[in-house]
Amino acid sequence: MKTSFISSYAVSQSVRYQITRMQSELVKAETEIVTGRVADTGLHLGARTGQSVYLEREIDRLGTIIDTNNVVSSRLSTTQKGLDSLTELAKKYLSNMTAASSVDPTVVRDEARTTITSMIGVLNTNVNGENIFAGVNTDVRPINDFMAPGSTARAAMEQAFEDHFGFALTDPQAADVGADAMTQFLTDVIEPQFMGAEWKANWSNASDETITSRITLTDTTQASVSANADGVRRLAMSAAVVDVFFGGELNVAARNATTDFAGGVVGQAVSDLAQTQAQVGIIEQRVKSANERLGMQVDIFKGKTSDMVGVDPYEASSRISLMLAQIETSYTLTSRMRQLSLVRYLP
Amino acid sequence: MSLTTALSIAQTALLNTSRQTSIVSRNISEANNPDYARRSAAIVTSMNGSHITQIRRATSEVLFRQNLAALSSVVGQDTMLGAMNSLNLAVNGSDNATSPARLIGKFQEALQSYSASPSNGSIAENAVEAARQVVKALNNGTTAIQSFRSDMDRQILGAVGELNSLLSDFEQVNREIVSGTQAGRDVNDALDQRDALLKKISEFVPVSVVPRAANDMALVTASGAMLFDVVPRTVTFDPVAGHSAGVDGNPIRIDGVPLPAGTGGNTSASGKLAAMLQMRDDVAGGMQAQLDETARGLIAAFSEKDPDGILADAAGLFTWPGAPAVPADGVLVDGLAGLISINAAMDSTAGGNPHLLRDGGANGADYIRNTEGGAGFTSLLIDYQTRLESPIAFDNAAGLQGTISVVTYSEESVSWFEGIRQSAQRAVENKNALYVRTDAALSNMTGVNIDEELTLLLDLEHSYQASARLMSTVDAMLGALMDAIR
Repeated sequence: MKTSFISSYAVSQSVRYQITRMQSELVKAETEIVTGRVADTGLHLGARTGQSVYLEREIDRLGTIIDTNNVVSSRLSTTQKGLDSLTELAKKYLSNMTAASSVDPTVVRDEARTTITSMIGVLNTNVNGENIFAGVNTDVRPINDFMAPGSTARAAMEQAFEDHFGFALTDPQAADVGADAMTQFLTDVIEPQFMGAEWKANWSNASDETITSRITLTDTTQASVSANADGVRRLAMSAAVVDVFFGGELNVAARNATTDFAGGVVGQAVSDLAQTQAQVGIIEQRVKSANERLGMQVDIFKGKTSDMVGVDPYEASSRISLMLAQIETSYTLTSRMRQLSLVRYLP
Repeated sequence: MSLTTALSIAQTALLNTSRQTSIVSRNISEANNPDYARRSAAIVTSMNGSHITQIRRATSEVLFRQNLAALSSVVGQDTMLGAMNSLNLAVNGSDNATSPARLIGKFQEALQSYSASPSNGSIAENAVEAARQVVKALNNGTTAIQSFRSDMDRQILGAVGELNSLLSDFEQVNREIVSGTQAGRDVNDALDQRDALLKKISEFVPVSVVPRAANDMALVTASGAMLFDVVPRTVTFDPVAGHSAGVDGNPIRIDGVPLPAGTGGNTSASGKLAAMLQMRDDVAGGMQAQLDETARGLIAAFSEKDPDGILADAAGLFTWPGAPAVPADGVLVDGLAGLISINAAMDSTAGGNPHLLRDGGANGADYIRNTEGGAGFTSLLIDYQTRLESPIAFDNAAGLQGTISVVTYSEESVSWFEGIRQSAQRAVENKNALYVRTDAALSNMTGVNIDEELTLLLDLEHSYQASARLMSTVDAMLGALMDAIR
């Protein structure tokens, strides 16, 4: 007859099962305390694992966008500095020209030449291998050198003079060109050369299309200024007419007409440049606030991730100590149970 | 009644005690054998003292059946979880680190960097390299899944062989029991053996036991296939040499009837075989289909479009053997994840130009978007990033529904798998706990308690002493009688 309802095997088995279970829990808790996140994200989150993958991906991507926005910012601030120098150049050129117009024409011409050289220097600025004023043609120098021998822009202007008046600029007949005729020539023939399609043939290799940048996950912006901007064209026109036409045989009246024209154009260039600067400033501001927003988003996402898979280290460590105590208890129990056998008490 | 009778009763008592002692010692020696059922002697009193007519074996039909069922389901669940863990590691890596979802994320980062510095050749190369990693993950995932399926086939084949040999062992033991019972022999050891075999068989398939006369037994699987009836029925399985995506493997047939595969994370599969079938076709197959759909989504998102809108879309950065055509919208292409590759036109290792990713035109000049050829052209790159996030239709056949972006799809795929794995893990814990409980209950009912046996031993010792004393007393009495008549 069987009188007991507990078998020796079941007794030892149950302790064994509990110990192995606790040991595997212990390993898990140890991993959690070291990594600060749950031991197995997949098992912890199950069907929500995709969300944690999404959050971590977003955190990385937003970080990348913040990095690329820094590239955009540095391009924009270099652009802004370039535009600053162009405005400075234009203003200096305007004041010097007004002051010197009554004096020696070579002084005015030198002033114009310096302005052109500096302007070309600024426009051909290169950052990280990108010509920032080249629109999307970042691999080419946006402005051809006007001072180089054989400049097509210079040749085009001289040719235009010859075509219009019927004689070359260096021809003695040029001295007969009157102020009105000169002004008309400048307005009708020279201005379209700069403001029209010929600008791109003679002066500029830049594209009108500027670099588009993605500054948030959903937002894109034009993040550069092309050398084809009106302000640049006008500044170049203002300086170039003085340089070219002061080099010929023009009389004083025609020269004065040229300086008047140049002065008017450069004045407009200053206001054009100011407008462009304002636009760039707005974009800079947008990038800056985009970065702040992205930073906040990253913080929120990090918070969410840590809510999902993070482990409180204090909780984990108290769990470990609790578990260690439990395991020790069960060891003690096992050894006590081994002693708890009739065999020990029978003679 | 006479002194002789008393002597003979004492003699039987001695005999009984020694037999009972041998039973107790056998019980003690088998105390830690989980397959041993405790024996006890059935004693019948008669004119000349008591007789041991039979050695009884402790049994509990109900608990034993429960235990078999619990064992089947825990083994099935455990097999499934183990296979899921190894499949997860092979395809998605630890913590999903090498899952397509993560690598597509890295690729998006690389695209973003590229769109910020579009003229930079090494950043362009980096973007293509990130795409290459995505392709590699999809290709490797496919290889891993298909070799996992072949591995499952090998394991199933091994298990089927083992099951067949268990069944033939079962036949032998069962025959011994039947003939022994008919001849009135002690068949308890054989019964122990048969129960142990039943437990082993339950690890492979869930069995219900149909008792027959003379301790005979027929075995039927839970799905109704006859497994054993007088003779074992054969279990057959033909492994497939190389699995291909979208094609289910061969079924396991028990007595010609196909064994149904398990379903769900908390699987309905009882026993290894059904769980392995489920993993091979259902889970691994589903995962493969989702990788295929992810690959299709990538090819579609990066397809090149004719700026004039005349020519058909053509496969761009991500391409496949059907290129230049793009796979049909919303239709699963089996095995596409193993076929997807980087377009050679953009692959610098194949002599291509990574900047075509920025400019378009991998499929000829008609597809060039950057018509001016500016090195700072970013519209197409930004367009690609938008398309990665734009919803497209996915085939319901892959187990995930809806019109979502390919990026979200890859995340959903991770969720799908981990959801199953989590419920498998929880079910293992529950089913294991149930098994431990039923095992303990069965062991409590049929197992040996050493303390109990030792107290019995004390009783037996006393009764032996008493019987011996009785004999010596009767002997003394008989001696006195003899002395008197001398």
